[in-house]
Amino acid sequence: MDRRTEDRVPVVQVKNLTIDIPMDEGVLTPVRGVSFSIHEGETLGLVGESGCGKSLTSKAILGINDKKCRTGGEILFSEADHVLDLLKLKYGSEEIRKIRGERASMIFQEPMVAFHPMYTIGAQINECTRLHITSDKVKSKEITLDMMKRVGIANAEKRYDQYPHEFSGGMLQRALIAMALVCRPALLIADEPTTALDVTIQAQILELMKSLQKEFDMSILFITHDLGVVANMCDRVAVMYLGKIVEEASVREIYKNPKHPYTKGLIGSVHKVGTHNQSKLFSIDGTVPLALNLPKRCGFYERCSSRIEGVCNRLEPGRTMLDDDHSVNCFLYDKENIHG
Amino acid sequence: MIPTVLIISFVVFFIIQLPPGDYVSSYIAKMSAEGEIFTQEMIDEMRAEYGLDRPWYIQYFYWMMDILFHGDFGYSFSYLRPVWDVIMDRLGLTIAVSLITMAFTYLVSLPIGIYSANHQYSVGDYLFTFIGFLGMAAPNFLLAIILMYASYVWTGTPYIGLFSQEMLQNGIHLYNFGEFLKRLIIPVIVIGTSGTCGVIRTVRAQMLDEQSKQYTLTARAKGVSERKITYKYCLRAAINPVVSGLSNSLSSIFTGSTISAIVMNLAIQGPVLYTALKNQDMYLAGTILLVQAVLIVIGTLLSDIALGLLDPRIRFEQQKED
Repeated sequence: MDRRTEDRVPVVQVKNLTIDIPMDEGVLTPVRGVSFSIHEGETLGLVGESGCGKSLTSKAILGINDKKCRTGGEILFSEADHVLDLLKLKYGSEEIRKIRGERASMIFQEPMVAFHPMYTIGAQINECTRLHITSDKVKSKEITLDMMKRVGIANAEKRYDQYPHEFSGGMLQRALIAMALVCRPALLIADEPTTALDVTIQAQILELMKSLQKEFDMSILFITHDLGVVANMCDRVAVMYLGKIVEEASVREIYKNPKHPYTKGLIGSVHKVGTHNQSKLFSIDGTVPLALNLPKRCGFYERCSSRIEGVCNRLEPGRTMLDDDHSVNCFLYDKENIHG
Repeated sequence: MIPTVLIISFVVFFIIQLPPGDYVSSYIAKMSAEGEIFTQEMIDEMRAEYGLDRPWYIQYFYWMMDILFHGDFGYSFSYLRPVWDVIMDRLGLTIAVSLITMAFTYLVSLPIGIYSANHQYSVGDYLFTFIGFLGMAAPNFLLAIILMYASYVWTGTPYIGLFSQEMLQNGIHLYNFGEFLKRLIIPVIVIGTSGTCGVIRTVRAQMLDEQSKQYTLTARAKGVSERKITYKYCLRAAINPVVSGLSNSLSSIFTGSTISAIVMNLAIQGPVLYTALKNQDMYLAGTILLVQAVLIVIGTLLSDIALGLLDPRIRFEQQKED
């Protein structure tokens, strides 16, 4: 399928998103100006280490971050006839709740704790159906059961009345997908949906997501730190580091032609099957710094092996377009602004 | 369950007779202080009459036999009546006071706990926390005295005890029931506040814990309203420890509070147990303690059943064991 992005409408456009969390020690800035857009039917991979702000970014779309998070920027969501800035909606207001679960929904890393232990799986999925589709008990149960069957839950009628502890991890993830997709949302946010699962189950879940994506023609924001999964699932990749997107390109481009030193490091740290060299995997020194009182410089400066002294520790790199489909935030490719 | 209760009864009896002396010796000490003179024969005679000259395990054996086969819990030396009659005398009132107090405790603390959790670190949260701790830390009898004093100053009526003179003479009827309820206010507040803070803290901590759970986020992500999240998701899971806390309340319903009851002159079971222990009125004290123990066991059973009804995971494990 042609995934050229220009001729497609973006389902969601995140523009210069910032998230601040006031704390006793100062203001934490885990997300510092993130912009991306996801087009219809497209899968965007958001890749980065733990703590780089990818989960907060995704939760900001649904407005389900903690109340003490302060957000800035715009999140434009395309409805049939108008565009809605999700950040303008009040926390927990009816408008944002109409988006959640119905137009954009989310699946989570740990399916084992994503369901309330005291209600049956069916009731919890059905709650979503009844909130957004129909309040008719018989009809909604039909829709729910149908979705449970579609995600591959065998014996759905019996499973409907079972509790989460009677499900296996993989089955729970299927149930969670059923809950997220029961209203046929335009956007699915998948926050590391396979990290907590066995490898064999992982593959099944990914296949399931891909086939359902095609069937429902939805867009996916796929958050992960697993580059193997990205190659399998995504059309485009945005690499995030310390609250910023440092490189964005198509999957092929990212793997074949990574530009940012951080992306190069990430790709280099993946073991390639079939290569016979016994050399050690590459690893990036250090850890992501805490996003508290950050100095004005490139966030990756301390860990970067090709840093330019006097530039990278003095200025913050902006976005440089390498071609239509590949952008990077790095002074190595931004000769003009080095002295600016 | 039955072995547990039997063992408890044995231990209770053993401990009650442990202090040196018995009812006769404490009775004689009291009477001697008032100038009565007893000869050794009189003392021995009294002991034999009460059956206190036999070793304690024989006494225990006869006591248990009477309970099991005749439903006879023994004789209260100081009331000069069967133990069971003494207990029944005050049972109704004790249960009434305790139940109203319990209702007060939960009616006040559940909403406050939920509010505090939903508005963590707000002015209201701090205020309720402060009041709650004050209620827990201030000795109940002090609060009782202050409230009784305040009520006297403001209304001119000394609200001491649950009955007015007039009620004691004519009994409680519809026309003076209002007065009786008025007299209940202070005891309920005094006895209730001590438990209230504990429940507030439990509910608050549980609710906060639930709010950071993944399933709360899932619920929010599918568009459930905040109100429904609080009551349907968080409270449902947070209520468990509160329910298991109920297992102890059955026995406290039976006894009621002791020190506050003495201060406020309430005719409930607590003070009876207190004086019975003081006077070594062993069958009375033993019976009250035994009934308490039985009620704790029953209470635990009931709260387990309630938890099973509330929480499918517990139900599930029970089925597996069968």
